[in-house]
Amino acid sequence: MNDSTASGDSSSGNQTVPTKSTAKKKRNLPGMPDPEAEVIALSPKTLLATNRFVCEICNKGFQRDQNLQLHRRGHNLPWKLRQRSTKEVKKRVYVCPEPGCIHHSPTRALGDLTGIKKHFCRKHGEKKWKCEKCSKNYAVQSDWKAHSKICGSREYKCDCGTLFLRRDSFITHRAFCDALSGECAKNNTALAPPSTDEDPKIQSVMPSPPPPAVAATSPAPSPPPPPPPQASPSAPPSTAMVSSVLPLQNLELPESSSHNPTATRIFEETSMVSNSPANCSSNSLSSINGSIGSNVLASLFASSTSSRSLQPQEPRFPNLFETMAHSKQTSDITLCTSSEPISLCLEMNQGSSIFKTAGQECRQYTTPLQPAMSATALLQKAAQVGVAASNASVLKGLGLVSSLSPSSEPQRWGRQEIESEGASLASGLGLGLGLGLACDGGSALTELMLGTPSVFGPKHATLDLLGLGMAASGGPTGGLSAIMQSINDGLDVAAAAAAFGGGEYSGKDMGRSS
Amino acid sequence: MAWFSHIQIFGEFRRCQLHGTIINDATLAQQILWVLNNIAPPDGDSNQRLTCGFLRAIIARAAKSGTCKLLTAMANVHTNLAMNNHKFSIIELASFVDLTPWHRFGYTAANAAILEAVEGYSVVHIVDLSSTHCVQIPTLIDAIATRFEAVPLVKLTVAGHTEDFPPMLDLSYEELGSKLVNFSRSRNVVMEFSVIPSSASNGFSSLIEQLRMQHLIHGENGEALVINSHMMLHYIPDETLPVVQNTSSPQISVETCSSNSFLRSMFLEALRSLDPTIVILVDEDADFTSNNLVHRLRSAYNYLWIPFDTLDTFLPRGSKQRQWYEADICWKIENVIAHEGPQRVERLEPKSKCAQRMRNASFRGISFSEEAITEVKSMLDEHAAGWGLKREEEDVVLTWKGHNVVFATAWLPI
Repeated sequence: MNDSTASGDSSSGNQTVPTKSTAKKKRNLPGMPDPEAEVIALSPKTLLATNRFVCEICNKGFQRDQNLQLHRRGHNLPWKLRQRSTKEVKKRVYVCPEPGCIHHSPTRALGDLTGIKKHFCRKHGEKKWKCEKCSKNYAVQSDWKAHSKICGSREYKCDCGTLFLRRDSFITHRAFCDALSGECAKNNTALAPPSTDEDPKIQSVMPSPPPPAVAATSPAPSPPPPPPPQASPSAPPSTAMVSSVLPLQNLELPESSSHNPTATRIFEETSMVSNSPANCSSNSLSSINGSIGSNVLASLFASSTSSRSLQPQEPRFPNLFETMAHSKQTSDITLCTSSEPISLCLEMNQGSSIFKTAGQECRQYTTPLQPAMSATALLQKAAQVGVAASNASVLKGLGLVSSLSPSSEPQRWGRQEIESEGASLASGLGLGLGLGLACDGGSALTELMLGTPSVFGPKHATLDLLGLGMAASGGPTGGLSAIMQSINDGLDVAAAAAAFGGGEYSGKDMGRSS
Repeated sequence: MAWFSHIQIFGEFRRCQLHGTIINDATLAQQILWVLNNIAPPDGDSNQRLTCGFLRAIIARAAKSGTCKLLTAMANVHTNLAMNNHKFSIIELASFVDLTPWHRFGYTAANAAILEAVEGYSVVHIVDLSSTHCVQIPTLIDAIATRFEAVPLVKLTVAGHTEDFPPMLDLSYEELGSKLVNFSRSRNVVMEFSVIPSSASNGFSSLIEQLRMQHLIHGENGEALVINSHMMLHYIPDETLPVVQNTSSPQISVETCSSNSFLRSMFLEALRSLDPTIVILVDEDADFTSNNLVHRLRSAYNYLWIPFDTLDTFLPRGSKQRQWYEADICWKIENVIAHEGPQRVERLEPKSKCAQRMRNASFRGISFSEEAITEVKSMLDEHAAGWGLKREEEDVVLTWKGHNVVFATAWLPI
């Protein structure tokens, strides 16, 4: 499993002498990336390569190391070269090179090379393997095989028409399905009466006359499966019943293999993951290479703020992205320019926008950039652009009168100050998030976070925003500082990361305390 | 990770607030909120939605302190819109729990162990303490009906718990029970169903009392007592646990520990006094008990990314089920982050701590049979790749991409 052909843009053509230990290794417990483990980020090409084990003599590629070793024997190597190195290989964990992917962070590293390859393939790779019977697509061949084995092999059908591939889900559904109670009512008189020593709390009750079978309330487009004989379609369904019917529509599979609209609809839904443009946009945008400087972003915002309308700015984006992106998925990005671009929208009801759901003007923000960059650049930009005066009035209308006694240094935190602090904060953020922005953000960050004792002021007992209870003595030992310190600790490590996106770097395990 | 940048922004915001000037500087507050919304839009990708959930929880927590009217106002707006967790019909819940093996893992392992333990008894009394409202029971009944030659009388008791935590049902336990009784009847199993109103917040004291009385009356008349705790133990308040603290930050002790302390252990001891035939303990393997907010945040974030990720692989973003699922997780996030004291009910303990409690209450762990393991494995095979199973001594743990998710343990009285 340990492979030495790891680092940077190694492709299957790299010539590295395998250094594998012959000692039997105790298999690491999965789940905890070993804090001492080396974090490796392989390039997408490496991860997708199928013949990674290459014979150094004839350059033949193999999928598995064992096969390579077998092959090498055939070369009649002198004894020394044939032996594997007995050097202990350090435990490695692997991260996904895809920025924005959850496994991009070292704390989410997978300990298994095969695992990370499969993950990358599944999540970011093309789904080349298609099931013939249903419309599911898979990027990894073994997934496809596993699925094909069971697809359509066993089917359990409830009287209500729902199909299940697994018996346990079928049984569970059936127990609660109203179609069952129809059957029961029919057998009502045949069964033995309940035991006589009931106390009032115990119920062994027969249901009231059966509601109609679920099938009877199917919507028109799908051809309803024949209702079970005992169901009486004439009885009006209760509201609760109808509401329980609706989600089932998503699960209904065609009874026969013949094509019908319901099936298409369902399969479209399940394959939406790969096809939907919304999905596409978030994936592709998140793949924008992180080496883009915040300057470019600032210019992006500058260009978009010139027209503060909510109209999409299609002509600009393809160019911008082409200059920005070193990403290989340029085509994806241009494809998605039709989706809502990022535009500044500091409108009246901005305040509540964070909590708005779909359909609101905040739809503008649904295609965000890499979060790390947003934090940096957006804060800068937000400060620069400024907000309409109407905003201030809204918030004054909310009754924002400071109840705090004025600080002894009222000027310190004036707007300008905040902007510059914001800038250093932002650059600290950038560094902390491994953007590699050229600044000495590390020390600035420390200074900012720990602050100077005067910042916290003599009295801060009242202002325990997060319930942290600042110590009376204040200063760097305050609760907030403690947070910042601990965060800073984690960030210092990340800040040590020189490069972004590809290349080996070591990251201390940041969060897995237990 | 991007997560910490939010803490920083928030910290920065807070420091500004300390000096009183930022409160009047609504524009900066707005800007920050705007930035936050861009970083973690509620309709972004999984990671963003997860982060959004945490941000909302933090804001809710901050708003509670009442010192920042801006935040309070914001939080008020948001509580009007958020947290409308779906109330499931039982059919919806049945299909919902099978989206991933999250629950089915525990059900399968538990049912296998229960079957083994109760074979031969003429009466089987199951006390089902489950966050998923008896959805485990049909397969258990089915197995009893199928595998036992002499089918026992089954008594099913549930604590009609009064708390509302997700997933929430839209029907009463009485209605639910009648469906189960019907179903059992259809499999020729006679079932008696009873609901005992009892709450985790007081360690199910009324339930325990009732069970004690029954134990006194019925004694050992060939009745097997099965306690099935599925994601429920962690709702019983625990002691204020000593936490590894940064020496610089003081320990926060908001909850009154006097009445709540030892409840979790007391409950287990009470169970032991009932001399049960078997106790199944299934729960999520994470530690949300720290009194230090940052530690808790970290634990929660390092765990709750998993449910988001598991659905990411196969449910499209617009899917209703996915929205319900994520809303339920956001409920938990808010509970862990924004609440303190008895309101904070999500107090998960890792498997090692739970196991220690059981041992302290005079239980010993038993292994799951090979058959059970095989059954669980084949169930996992039918789900997305990425799910795994590992055995730790007698216990089995469900894993997602190698990370511990849910543990299942079985216990016998010593």
